[in-house]
Parts: sequence; C-alpha cells; structure tokens
Amino acid sequence: MRNAKRLLILSATSLAAYIAAATTVPLGAAVVKVQDPRTVVMIVNRDSNDIAFMDITTKKIVGKAFLGNNVNPHMVMMSPDGRYVVTGGTRANKAYIIDAHTLELVKVIPVDIAPEHLAFSPDSRWYYQGNPEGDSISVIDMVSLTKIKSITGLVEPLNTVFLPDGSKAYVGNYGAHWVGVIDVRRHELLKKIQVGDVPGVAKLDPEKYLGNIHGINIPQITNDGRWLYAADSDLGVVAKIDPREDKVVKVIRVGKSPWRPYMSHDGNYLITPNNGDQTISIVDLRTDKVAATLEAGENMTGVNFAADKAFVISSTTAFVYVYDMKTLRPAGRLKMGTNIQLETATTDTADQKIYLADSTENAVIIIDAKTNAFEKIMNVGLFPWGTHIMDSKDNYCH
Amino acid sequence: MVRSRLVAAGAMLLLTGSLAAAQTSTVGGRVVNSQGGVVPNAEATLRPLPAPGATPMPNMPNMPGMAAEKTMAVNADGTFTFAGVAPGQYVLQVDASGFERSSQQVTVANQPLTFAVTLTPLDIPGAEGSAEAAAAVVPDTQVLLDRIKQLEQRISDLEANTVLSEPETRVKRIEVYVDPNNNVHDEPVPGARKQVTYQRERVYRRQWLTEKLEQAFADQDSKKIAVGVSAASVTQFARRTSGNGGEANGHAYQLNSADLLFAAGLAQYTSFFADVVGLSGAPPDAEIHSLTLLNSYTARLVRQNELNVREAWLRTELFSQRLALSAGRLDLTNYFDRNAVANDETAQFISDGLVNNPMLGLATNGAGVAGVFDPKNGFAFKAGLQQSNTDATNLSQSLYTLAEVDYVARPKGLGEGSYRVWVRNDNSSQRARRGGGVSLDQKLTPIFGLFGRYGTADAAGGRDQFYSGGFQFQKGLVFNPDDYWGVGYAETNLERGDRERLAEGYYNFLISEKLRLSFHLQHVFERPGGTPSVGFLLPAIRVQARF
Repeated sequence: MRNAKRLLILSATSLAAYIAAATTVPLGAAVVKVQDPRTVVMIVNRDSNDIAFMDITTKKIVGKAFLGNNVNPHMVMMSPDGRYVVTGGTRANKAYIIDAHTLELVKVIPVDIAPEHLAFSPDSRWYYQGNPEGDSISVIDMVSLTKIKSITGLVEPLNTVFLPDGSKAYVGNYGAHWVGVIDVRRHELLKKIQVGDVPGVAKLDPEKYLGNIHGINIPQITNDGRWLYAADSDLGVVAKIDPREDKVVKVIRVGKSPWRPYMSHDGNYLITPNNGDQTISIVDLRTDKVAATLEAGENMTGVNFAADKAFVISSTTAFVYVYDMKTLRPAGRLKMGTNIQLETATTDTADQKIYLADSTENAVIIIDAKTNAFEKIMNVGLFPWGTHIMDSKDNYCH
Repeated sequence: MVRSRLVAAGAMLLLTGSLAAAQTSTVGGRVVNSQGGVVPNAEATLRPLPAPGATPMPNMPNMPGMAAEKTMAVNADGTFTFAGVAPGQYVLQVDASGFERSSQQVTVANQPLTFAVTLTPLDIPGAEGSAEAAAAVVPDTQVLLDRIKQLEQRISDLEANTVLSEPETRVKRIEVYVDPNNNVHDEPVPGARKQVTYQRERVYRRQWLTEKLEQAFADQDSKKIAVGVSAASVTQFARRTSGNGGEANGHAYQLNSADLLFAAGLAQYTSFFADVVGLSGAPPDAEIHSLTLLNSYTARLVRQNELNVREAWLRTELFSQRLALSAGRLDLTNYFDRNAVANDETAQFISDGLVNNPMLGLATNGAGVAGVFDPKNGFAFKAGLQQSNTDATNLSQSLYTLAEVDYVARPKGLGEGSYRVWVRNDNSSQRARRGGGVSLDQKLTPIFGLFGRYGTADAAGGRDQFYSGGFQFQKGLVFNPDDYWGVGYAETNLERGDRERLAEGYYNFLISEKLRLSFHLQHVFERPGGTPSVGFLLPAIRVQARF
C-alpha cells in the first residue's frame, strides 16, 4: 500500500512536471491590450505618426503604437495569423512591425524609398512592402523579422496581391502599363503582363502620355482566386488576367481614368471609380461586360461594399455616393461634412458598418450601411489616412 | 485488484512521461545587449511553426485551438532554458522593453540548442523613454552614446532644412466647450456651451520640396479666377439633292466660335460663372431656310465679330448640396433635356434638331433662375424661369417657365438609361404658349446607346410636333479608344404645314485631350407649307479645342 502511494505520488509529480514544461504560463512584462485582433479597427495616423487601435464594440481607442516623428505611416495591415501589425513609414523609408496584442513596436526595418502599400502572403510568412519611389518591393521574413531581399525591376509598384496558394504575387505598376508577376519561392520578378495597347494617337498628345503616367494601381483577385482584374488609368481599361497562364484573356473598356477595381463581396461585380469623368463603371463578372456607368463624384479614393450597397468615397467633396448593387442604380449621396477631406475606409466582417478615415477632422466616421446613418469618432489621431479590420474584404489604401 | 490497477496506471504514466522526455530537448541561450551587457526584464518565447503539409494558416495567438507557445522570463544573468521541447520547427523570440524584438527560426531535434541573442536598441525619434534601452547599456559607453546623440541631432537639423522635417502648422476648425468664465474645455462640462473656433495645429510630417511646391501652386490656383477657352470652327458645304431653288447650292460656309469661360468661388458652395462668346463667319442657315438650325452654333450668333455675354450667373447649393440654384443670364437648355447621346453641339451632332428639342421654344438666353433638386438617388427635379423676349421691358410679360422630372432606369437586361418629362409655358408667345415633351437615352450594350425625343407645342389651330431618334457608338467599333460616332434623324411638323426632315451622321476623333476633329454628313429636306420639298446634302468638318 505504501509503495503504491509512493508510485502514485511519483507519477503525479512527473506528470505535473511534464505538463508544466509543455505549457509554460506566459510571463508578460508587456501588457496585452488586444486579446482578439478581430475586435479592433486599426487607424493609420499619418501626421501623429502612430497606429491607433479602436475597439469595434466600445468605439474607444484602446491603444496606440507611436512610430517616431516624421515617419508618416501610409497603410496598416494585420498579418493573416493575427500576430503582427505592420506599416510602411513613407518618409522614414522603414517598415514598422507592431505586436498585435501588446501593441508595442517590436521592430523597425530599413526598406527602400517611400514605402506605401503592402501585402502578406496567405501563410503570414512574407511581408511584401512596396516602395513606389524606389521601384522595388522589400521582402520581409516574418519569422526572423528581417528584410531578406529587395525585388527590383518594378516601376512605381503601388499594390501587391498574392494568389491564395501563395505561389505567386502580382504587382500593379503605376508607372507603367504592365502587371509584374513575382515568384514567391524565389522572390523574383517572373513576368510582365501588358494590360492593353497604347492608342495610336498617343504620339499626338505628348502632354498626356509623356507628362505623367498613370498606370496600374492593383491587380484585384476574384474571390475564388481564379482571375485577376487590373485597371489601367491612362488606357481606361480593365484587363482580365488568367493567373494559370499569366496572360490577358479580355480587355474591358471602362470610364475615363479608372483608379482601380474593387470587388463586390459576392464576387459578381467589380467597380472602377473613374476620376477622369466622375463616373463609376460596374462590370458584371459573369459576362465581363460593363453593366452600368453611373454618375459619381470627384477625386474618388475608395469603394466599400455592405448591405447590398456600394459606398464610393469622393475625397475632396466630402460625399459618399451610394449605389444599390441589386438594381445597379444610384441610391443617394451622404454628406459627411463641410471643408473636410475623406480618405479610405474598411468594412466590418459582418458587412454592416463602414469605418471611414476623415483626415482633416482627425476622425473616423462609422457608417451604418443599412440605414446610411453615420457617427463621427473624433480625436483618433492626426490626419487618419486609412483604416483596417482583420479579415475584412475591404482592406485597401490609396 | 484495485491496487494492482492503480500501480499499472502509475507505471503507464511514468512510462509515457519517460518516453516523452526521451523525445524532447532543450532550447536555451543568453541574452545580451550590443555591448555584451545583461538586458534586464527580457522575456523569451518559443512558438511552434506549422508542420510541413499542415494548414498554411497558423491559429491566432490566444484563440481557441491555438498552438501552444511558451514564454518565460529571462534570468538575471541573461540566460533562459526551455525544457521538454519536442522536435520540430519553432520561432524563438526575445523581447525587452526599449529593444527590437529578436526573432529567429530554430529546428529542434534531440540535441539541446543554445543561442546567443543580442538585442538592438529600438530608437523611436520623439518618443518618451526611447533612451531606456540606451540607459541599460554599461556606463563606460555613455560618452560614446552622447556623441551619437549629438550627431543624430545634427543630422536632424540638416534634414529639417533639406527635406522639410520641421513641424508643419495648419489651421483647423475645432469644436470646444466654453463655460461661463470663458474657460475652454475639450470635452463637455456642466454649464459649458459648444462653440466652433479655429486653432493652429502642429504636426510632424516630413515633406519633399516638390510636394511643398505643388501644394503652394495648388493653393495659389484655387484662389484665382479659372479661365477656360472653348473654340470651334465648323466648315460646311451645301449641295442640293432635290427640288428647285435655294441659293445655297454649291456654296461653302464656315462659322468660327470662341468662348471665354470664367469661373470663381465666392463663398461656401457659391460660385460665379461667365461665358463670353464671339463668332465670325457665315453659317448655311442664312441661305437654307430650315425649320431648325443646320449649324447649332448659329444660335450663339448675335452680331458678327463682336463679343457677347452668353451666360453670367451665380450658383449656390443648399440643403446638403441637394438643391442647386443658379440666377443670372442663363442658357436654360444647359439644365433641361440633357440627353447624354444628343445634346452637345461641340462634341456630337451639329444640327440643332439633334441637339435640342425645338418644342422647348427657347431661342435666346436671358435673365432667369434655374433650380435643380438632385438627391442622387436616380430622381431629379428641375424648374426654371427665364426672360424669353430680350426686348421686353419687364419680366412679367416675357416669362418663360420650364419644369422637368428625370429618372435613371435600368430596364431588365439593358444598361442604364435616363428618362425625362418636361412641360413649359411662355407667356410672351401667343402662338406656342404651352409645350411638353419627353427625352430618353438608353444604353443597349456597353458600347451602343439609343436616344429619342418627342415634343409638342400649342399652335394657332392645332399643335406643332417634333420627334428625333438615333444611336451612338463609343468604346467600341471605333478607330481609337476615345472616338465615338452617331447617326440621328429628326422630323419637325408645324401646324401651318411646314415640314422638315433631317438626318445626320458624324464621327468624332480624339486627337488629344484638348483637341477633337469630327466629320459630319447632313441631309435635310425642307417643305415650307404648300411648296415642293427641297433637299440639301451638307458634308461638314468641325474642329473643337477646349482647354
């Protein structure tokens, strides 16, 4: 009996030691400010040089990560695994990595000139930081938190999109008329896909074609990852790209100076805001034809989808134009203020609320997509430039 | 029996633990700063990476089902050890306040692993406590650090002069709460009232010189009066194709028009616009007595080679900019019956019968008011009044009024279309006092659109009637992407027996953003009451510049 007791005590002690070794209790010096990264809206504040985190439920700022004076962050994004928040400091030429739970800045990595937009590989391993002024993409390994490579040969790379399997990435070159294909295994430029032909009369209009080029902002991927759509601003077209063969299979003519395509959440339509003629083109992706061209506003910077509507942001007029995505007809216009400037927005994962950066008022405007009612959350930081919610289908920048 | 089972279970547990211990290893190391000193309050984390072939998306930390990760405080001497680590791929992270995170991938097999981790100070310019990491460095390097700080300051000063790193100031409209003592509060307090005021704000935004210069030029431009030019030259040739008479046969015509456009902002949502036009040349309308103008520019011609004020008005926007009111000398056709396919003589048809609806009965511009209520939901409501007779001594006896309802529709299977209904009244005219009409433009495909118009007006013993229709291609079946072309037909029947049938086709080339060239072919049949029909074919060229 005594031996059996000793054996039991010994066994229990061994088990306890084994369990303790296997699951060490976190001993954080740093305070966890965000338990669930899906519960916050990230706000990139260009002029207060920080990333603010707003709780979606309470609408309170739960923390800020200060990056340093004159950093001027541009776009913020959370890694798909929810561990890190990253941003490019456009005027510091550095990438900033923030712990998504403690909201502490954990790493600063020098990159190329003027880092702006960025993307994560689906497995969260690679963080591609685009440097439009440096004509490059900096590849950051999110395991070692180091820059492992610089992909060169690009021309003002504005946005990058990864295929769902992570094998290739596609880069919109705003300073050219081609999409760059990146081999993610080697982090190298694999191919250039020209989206459309420059018209023959271009040589008669040097002011337009030689003055300043407005090429491709982003190749937008369909929900199933089967196709990519890239709008070229100067050419006024949207090209449909087959990523299996990396070739253009169709060119769709849209309005004048399309900014970029935005994909509806059901995958049925894409919208291009055409700043050249203040219209939007709605392309039916089942037929790859323009289903409607509707009047819109000036200086459009983004499109969000929620409650079967599209919300198109007209930056300098302070209007958000609303369209019914069932009837493809205009559905009103929301006036957000006077003498203000709107930037970009993100949509919550329930497709109910839109979080719009109102830069000149240092505010974020929350729009109820169903009722079109909105409220302003003031003092989120100086000059909020964009917002981001983990897993949102409308995470973009301008 | 029970005892023996307990013993067996204990033995199994021990065996399992022993086997597990046999398959595990240790991961440890020592954490130092760049000078080799101990970093206080550091912590190490060991996070497993997904196994090869596993789902590519690791579970989020703190989420249910997360992969177990271990975190431990680093010892006072800088060492740490994770025991019982199963073989596999891990991420070893070391954090300490004021330092950059050290992160590396490690492969654990059966052998113990030891790492030397060197933490680099995390410098955040402008942040409080950013020197904390520096303070952790051993004191004998203090002199060197001070020197580095001095050099950094010099670089910062240099940057301030070359890349404009100095703080930027801007004036902002803010809301504050002022209490009875005139004390200002940022948040509501009892007894305080909300007030709007203006205050300077200082931000740290580094700008390049080019940005600053562009901004300065843009600011300057926004305060100026904007000036634009729209110039056109229309050359037409007339050849009689049927009937007799008509002095125009074989004649060539040219009418040149130049508009100077001025625009300026006056106040919030209030602006001024003026269009001064000068025309020179001879249109065919002087020799071909058509019911509608064969060159729509002729409507602008008051006197040859003289400048005339075509439009001059003030515009303001009310009710969240849903209602726009314009008052002054107006061209009401700019507000009403704005057919997308056939409404612009500078870019589409040149025949007035395919640009306007003659049953609108408005020949000249005049003093008036136009209101457009457009909530941007597909419906728009318009109303306007205008002096219809420039010789009238008062507005009451020469009042032209017009109202219109617009609707954007998408008939099933078709693209968008605009549909309009209008009515008008002219108290200066005894003959055509009242009129009404409809107008539509409808896309059938993304490149092909139709238009149609119908109008009718009072006449002495009946009604005058007009209709037109046609189509336009753009973004397809064109030589260049921004070209477009169209064909239209219009017929006017007056109650007194006059009849006009008109057809026109055109092709418009985009030469550059500021210059367009178009070729037109018009064929018109005029039949004044009781006389035989006379037909003319008119080839035409239009050059249109706008900048």
